[in-house]
Amino acid sequence: MPAGRPGPAAQSARRPPRPLSSLWSPLLLCVLGVPRGGSGTHTAVISPQDPTLLIGSSLQATCSIHGDTPGATAEGLYWTLNGRRLPSELSHLLNTSTLALALANLNGSRQQSGDNLVCHARDGSILAGSCLYVGLPPEKPFNISCWSRNMKDLTCRWTPGAHGDTFLHTNYSLKYKLRWYGQDNTCEDYHTVGPHSCHIPKDLALFTPYEIWVEATNRLGSARSDVLTLDVLDVVTRPAPPPVTTDPPPDVHVSRVGGLEDQLSVRWVSPPALKDFLFQAKYQIRYRVEDSVDWKVVDDVSNQTSCRLAGLKPGTVYFVQVRCNPFGIYGSKKAGIWSEWSHPTAASTPRSERPGPGGGVCEPRGGEPSSGPVRRELKQFLGWLKKHAYCSNLSFRLYDQWRAWMQKSHKTRNQLFFPSTGRGDPALGQTGHGERSCRINYKGQAILLQLAELEVCPN
Amino acid sequence: MDPQADSSISFLPHLEAKIRQTHNLARLLTKYAEQLLEEYVQQQGDPFGMPGFSPPRLSLAGLSGPSPSHAGLPLSERLRLDAAALGALPALLDAVRRHQAELNPRSPRLQRSLEEAARQARALGAAVETVLAALGSAARGPGPEHSATTALSTANSAASIFSAKVLGLQVCGLYGEWVNRTEGDLSQLVHGGVA
Repeated sequence: MPAGRPGPAAQSARRPPRPLSSLWSPLLLCVLGVPRGGSGTHTAVISPQDPTLLIGSSLQATCSIHGDTPGATAEGLYWTLNGRRLPSELSHLLNTSTLALALANLNGSRQQSGDNLVCHARDGSILAGSCLYVGLPPEKPFNISCWSRNMKDLTCRWTPGAHGDTFLHTNYSLKYKLRWYGQDNTCEDYHTVGPHSCHIPKDLALFTPYEIWVEATNRLGSARSDVLTLDVLDVVTRPAPPPVTTDPPPDVHVSRVGGLEDQLSVRWVSPPALKDFLFQAKYQIRYRVEDSVDWKVVDDVSNQTSCRLAGLKPGTVYFVQVRCNPFGIYGSKKAGIWSEWSHPTAASTPRSERPGPGGGVCEPRGGEPSSGPVRRELKQFLGWLKKHAYCSNLSFRLYDQWRAWMQKSHKTRNQLFFPSTGRGDPALGQTGHGERSCRINYKGQAILLQLAELEVCPN
Repeated sequence: MDPQADSSISFLPHLEAKIRQTHNLARLLTKYAEQLLEEYVQQQGDPFGMPGFSPPRLSLAGLSGPSPSHAGLPLSERLRLDAAALGALPALLDAVRRHQAELNPRSPRLQRSLEEAARQARALGAAVETVLAALGSAARGPGPEHSATTALSTANSAASIFSAKVLGLQVCGLYGEWVNRTEGDLSQLVHGGVA
């Protein structure tokens, strides 16, 4: 089928596609100018009535009067177009009862109901009228895209022809059919997500391709888009995942990780509309510093619904967004469609207020307790660490003991509290981060042990 | 105590309230009718809406504007004519709406306004008939459906788009004229009291 079918030859006026009387089936009107009193009023008829023309074409029109009064003449008649009187040089008398008009290089119609061409009597009264439809045939619609929210429906949108306005009302019809059998169907629910969109709510088959196209029609012709072939399963998505928004819902959260200065925790839930059908979903996170335009993308989030961002700057506000891709639905191998990014959520990393090297927040007090409650808890914590944190060459000391050990071993002030070169045991969910940290998994909760100084102020 | 007199006495406040309510409705619809006319002419393009634009009136037998002698008629007769016109208008407004859906498909607001005008005319006509019935003056003459059918069937040739625009203008104008006339007639009843 050709991409577009131009209408009839455009140089001459053409009749509208259907007679107006069909629109008025219960309503038959008097031809304008039928006298009310029949007392000698002139009447007239314009020809052609309601023509459709191409932009740039010409029009030859006539206004023929027939009146009850003998000697009715076309002399003195004049034309207006959309309320503006046309120059007299454009019209001439064909005969005593007919005034002709020649218009060239017509512009597109000013309003969708047609331009008003009116024939006036000498005194300005209206004798007859005709509506001109001047425009362009539709261009081929393109850029059709479709998606399904729940594998039962399909929403499509498209872009109208490349040059935009045809100056005529153009009707767009979304058609679809099963590729190898079945009849053409027409979408009925238009303008659902914009002016050029349509929604098919139900009765769609899965695991079989559909052919989808758009037909554009106006008074001057029609055009058809290219055919899009798709399987509904391959276009399942949601416009946005459960959002990280300015008012984050309770189940989506970006938060600090205790006092860790360079980390933030991001949590979300999988889109509820897909959870019944989702075989797998993968997520992406992106984040940026507040006053930067450069996003960093975390790509390997997989199908988890939480992620820890690390390596962040302390005391800095970050914006975070999440998006999802429902791939692997019912075994489909095709990648799904990435959703839009969720609304950004801001959170800030804590700023360290610990003293720098040489500084101190604790004022020495007399009498260092050797066994206070905090110290006992710390010793218990260290004992637990020794038991659960498998990092080779890891030693744990309370700071004062570490200081003493440092002084003895003549190490620098910046020696790490948890000197470690281990990588951890992956079987235990431990991931080494080089020399400065060690990650462990305790009852499903990831704990990152970072190499840092811990100073406990004596009671 | 005469129970019938009692019921008459207790009926009067309700009737007066109904008359005031109907009058308020007519006053409100007068404003809506002005807005409808403005919206209509805007969508048809110039010269519709231009000062001095006065196309010949098309003949709609069975429905015309209030005659110059209308004001001189007895009040009950005027209200009967008001009710009859309001009864005939909905069908014409619906027809104009259907046509405008073809002529101005990108103007859903105009179509909604025409639909509401038909509904409002029907409601006001029914309210006026209720008042007439309560006053003991039943509606006389052809029913609203008959008037509408007569109006619709009097033309004798196919319409052009321009004449369809003119007809829509005329119908919107008639709607405004009749709700305005009804408001005026009811105001006499409100201020003069129930005789």
